[in-house]
Amino acid sequence: MFHFDVITQNWPLFWAGLQVTLFYSAISISAGLVIGLVVGLIQLTGSRTLTIIGRVYVEIFRNIPLLVILLWIYYAFPIFAGLSITKFWAGFAGLSLYAGAFYAEILRAGVQSIDRGQTDASTALGMTYGQRMRRVILPQAFRRMIPPLAGQSIIQIKNTTLMSMITVPDLLYQASYVSSFTYRPMEVYTMVGAMFLVLLVPLTLLSRRLEKVSERVK
Amino acid sequence: MSVHPNPGPAAGPLLKVEALRLKFGTREVLKGVDLTVRKGEVVVLIGASGSGKTSLLRCVNLLNLPSHGKITIGGEAIYSANPAARDGNGVPLATVNRIRAQTGMVFQQFNLFPHMTALENVMEGPVTVKKANRDATRREALDLLAQMGLADHVGKYPRQLSGGQQQRVAIARAMAMHPQVMLFDEPTSALDPELVGEVMKAMLDLARSGMTMLIVTHELGFAFEIADRVIFLDEGQIVEDGPPRDVLLRPTHPRLKSFVGRFHETADLLRPFLEGS
Repeated sequence: MFHFDVITQNWPLFWAGLQVTLFYSAISISAGLVIGLVVGLIQLTGSRTLTIIGRVYVEIFRNIPLLVILLWIYYAFPIFAGLSITKFWAGFAGLSLYAGAFYAEILRAGVQSIDRGQTDASTALGMTYGQRMRRVILPQAFRRMIPPLAGQSIIQIKNTTLMSMITVPDLLYQASYVSSFTYRPMEVYTMVGAMFLVLLVPLTLLSRRLEKVSERVK
Repeated sequence: MSVHPNPGPAAGPLLKVEALRLKFGTREVLKGVDLTVRKGEVVVLIGASGSGKTSLLRCVNLLNLPSHGKITIGGEAIYSANPAARDGNGVPLATVNRIRAQTGMVFQQFNLFPHMTALENVMEGPVTVKKANRDATRREALDLLAQMGLADHVGKYPRQLSGGQQQRVAIARAMAMHPQVMLFDEPTSALDPELVGEVMKAMLDLARSGMTMLIVTHELGFAFEIADRVIFLDEGQIVEDGPPRDVLLRPTHPRLKSFVGRFHETADLLRPFLEGS
């Protein structure tokens, strides 16, 4: 029933697609973490203005579907701004901004979960805000944040498939292409699903392990 | 009975609190407190919960920001209500942090840093805040932990230590900053009864070494033993201030009488001390 020679014959396309998927996963997770760190921390400074800016950003990107964000950045934003944007930048920006909103929430929740007594104790030693964050609060918060960060990153890798809608040649885009001329959607999309499983099951298991470790250090 | 044979009446005030008021929202927790502590003196604050004793202690190192009043440590104002002040406290923030470091605080819940060993907890203040030399700090921290009877536990994390051991690490951590005055906020309240003694002993040793201490506690027997002065706070005001013998055994104020009365078992235990002397 399955004709897997469809896969083997077109393997270079799958391989290219997988590389694009991995590339966008890596850069959007990295950029998202940086955005999340900044947006998460500015909401913890106590400044009302910065907190509001952070909240607005987070709520916008958390509540608009990623597909809509990607389509908007690629097709609508250039009209607003009067400039053209490549699909690389549209995909990268959409994925990173979306991830940043979720990472910011994880960071904020992680920092706020640290006992108030830790702030008291470090303040009483004479530490400044920066010293408290760097030496006492963030090292503890990061340990608690590892499991949700890993979980969000796995979702992020899956979310990269939405870029196929703005014609970024990721794994799903290549698969659709192969399917369009081989007329073998069954083999092609089964293969895409299998590749994601092979990629993400180990990562899921790893994140579960990290969860156990972070429980132990609590 | 005082553990300080000779605090010396001539010694100047190390800590001075004047007309201190503290508001949480609309509720006034401290309603004009005046307090002077001399160098080497051990002062115990007692009072019912909600009387403002913990708030008063937290005002001394500005963990709570007073709404009015003046606080002076070693002649330097660390807080002086002044509407034109730069940080709203009357003193630049850098000065606040510097002088804050001259008070050592010990908390009810220990509040050790869980991601650091006992030794690292003690070294953290000097190394991070004072930028002190790491090796010298390590030697001193090991020394302090040994004084606290923790020489065998320096490499352990807080979760590997008992409550009493954690609290002694916390005392060492505060002492490592060479504070002029040590503040204790109900240091034995969170401890299992069999662990209370070891922390009290550590504090008595500290008092005997001449450390100036301000202690909030519910342990009246301990207050009697360690204090040069006992202060009774009621509804945000000092209503009695005197030697432990007078305040704890011959209370005059009706509120204090009923407060001490509720601890009459402790008071009865103390009676032999009074009659024996």
